[in-house]
Amino acid sequence: MSAILRLHDVCKSFGGNHVLTGLNFQVYAGEIVGLLGPNGCGKSTVLNAITGYCAIERGVIEIDGAAVNGLAAHRIAERGVRRTFQLPSMPARMTVMETVMAASVRAHGLMSTLAGWGATRRIERETRERAAHLLDELLLTKVADLPAASISGGQKKLLGIACALMGHPTLLLLDEPMAGVHPNLRAELVTTLKRINGQGVTLVIIEHDMHFIAETCSRCVVLDKGRTVADCLPAELESHESVVEAYLGRKSPLNHQAAGTPA
Amino acid sequence: MSSFVLHVATLGCIYALLALGLNFQAGFAGLLNFGFVVFAGIGAYASAILSSHGYPAPIGIAIGVVVAMAIGCAMAGLGRNLAADYWAIATLAVAELIRTVALNEDWLTGGAQGISGVRPLFPARAGAGGDLAFFALALAMTAGAYLLYARLSQGRFGRAIRLMREEPALATSFGYRLVPLKIKATMAGAAVASIGGSLLAHYMSFVGPDYMLASETFAVWTMVMIGGLGNSRGVVLGALLVEAIYSAVPFAKDYFDIGSDIAGAVRVGTIGCALLACLLLRPGGMIPERIRSPR
Repeated sequence: MSAILRLHDVCKSFGGNHVLTGLNFQVYAGEIVGLLGPNGCGKSTVLNAITGYCAIERGVIEIDGAAVNGLAAHRIAERGVRRTFQLPSMPARMTVMETVMAASVRAHGLMSTLAGWGATRRIERETRERAAHLLDELLLTKVADLPAASISGGQKKLLGIACALMGHPTLLLLDEPMAGVHPNLRAELVTTLKRINGQGVTLVIIEHDMHFIAETCSRCVVLDKGRTVADCLPAELESHESVVEAYLGRKSPLNHQAAGTPA
Repeated sequence: MSSFVLHVATLGCIYALLALGLNFQAGFAGLLNFGFVVFAGIGAYASAILSSHGYPAPIGIAIGVVVAMAIGCAMAGLGRNLAADYWAIATLAVAELIRTVALNEDWLTGGAQGISGVRPLFPARAGAGGDLAFFALALAMTAGAYLLYARLSQGRFGRAIRLMREEPALATSFGYRLVPLKIKATMAGAAVASIGGSLLAHYMSFVGPDYMLASETFAVWTMVMIGGLGNSRGVVLGALLVEAIYSAVPFAKDYFDIGSDIAGAVRVGTIGCALLACLLLRPGGMIPERIRSPR
């Protein structure tokens, strides 16, 4: 199996705050990898570094075998990488439907819009159909005509996923997709993500919800203090000493409870 | 009286062109351009200079559009490393720079005296017939610009620039390149403003560096904000309304017996009050931006 994503010795600090301190891990095509770790361990920074939103100081980030660190964010997106944001901020003066349609960058040139060639019209029709389909899949059809900023936090999370899928990604990075989403929707989200994965999309998911991780992910990478402390199956998390220590510190009586009860 | 109304309507249409151009940059693409009037100035000077050398008017208009778009391209390129508010200040500086050049390069622009005697667009039709023809042309241009921007702002390009205005980080994550989008939006606004400037030069048969004063940019901004930022219909209405207020003040001056010395101040004050009332009562403008899904 080939690594679709490889991080080697990645370092990043903000001022004196060393967030990533020689991080290594790989993600193989077709996997669903959970990225875990206590608050402040650098999970979101990893995601920002991979997608070109922050520059790393040392190390290499490879996508499909080619180094991407130093590339602009839009260049990395062009390689089939899409992401969602932990706190999604959505346009106030565009509807949900428009936002999802805007997530497709095909034929967005000024001249092609002006001329309105047959090809542009066909792409516009395809975009609208796919957007409607994705909104339906992520249970957003009833809010499609509302301003995107006016929907709930959980719906914005789902909208972020719908937008990311518009770009037909090969690698999709999700930053806490379950945070703010109603627990009743968990099963549906798990099913949706697994279906997306079945269509050939590799997923990396940052999440604190252990049940969600256990149900969704095929492998877990646990970060602490900016480096990998565990790389294991979800079922092994509980028994992994360094994971328990990362979350709760050494010899805590609450170890068992905090590590969750993955199935 | 009817010729006066025609005069106001013609100026209204010319300013509507400027307001539509600025609205495309600021309203749709979210680019705060405080040097916008320079594009109209370029068009006006291009028309005046070329027509004084005997070239036909369409050549002057076309050259003006090309130069204005080139300057728009350079201006938007400045934004590569600047945040939106700093870019706004940079555009103001660029406009002042170009105005200063126009003020001092006598051989090209006639310096502070400007260029007078710009040939009329319809020399064959003297008097009222010519005025009517000019108004028809200005109206047609305004309608054309309106349709152009309606098509651009509702299509795929418009969606891209509106997403850039609202959520630039999100747009980047989808793979949009923001600098080219800014450049294209600026150029599209500059082209129409330049045509407006050319028309103004031919209509007034005069061009001077005062056409490019910062206060002119803010006059256009006032029209856009009163009309409705992000709504083409609104900004046309805003332009006509502000132009009507400008033109009505001399009548009010006679009616209320205001001295000529403060008539100018009354004019500016009236526009200021209208803007303030609009900002307080209808912050989105008279016809605010419409939010709707594509059908």
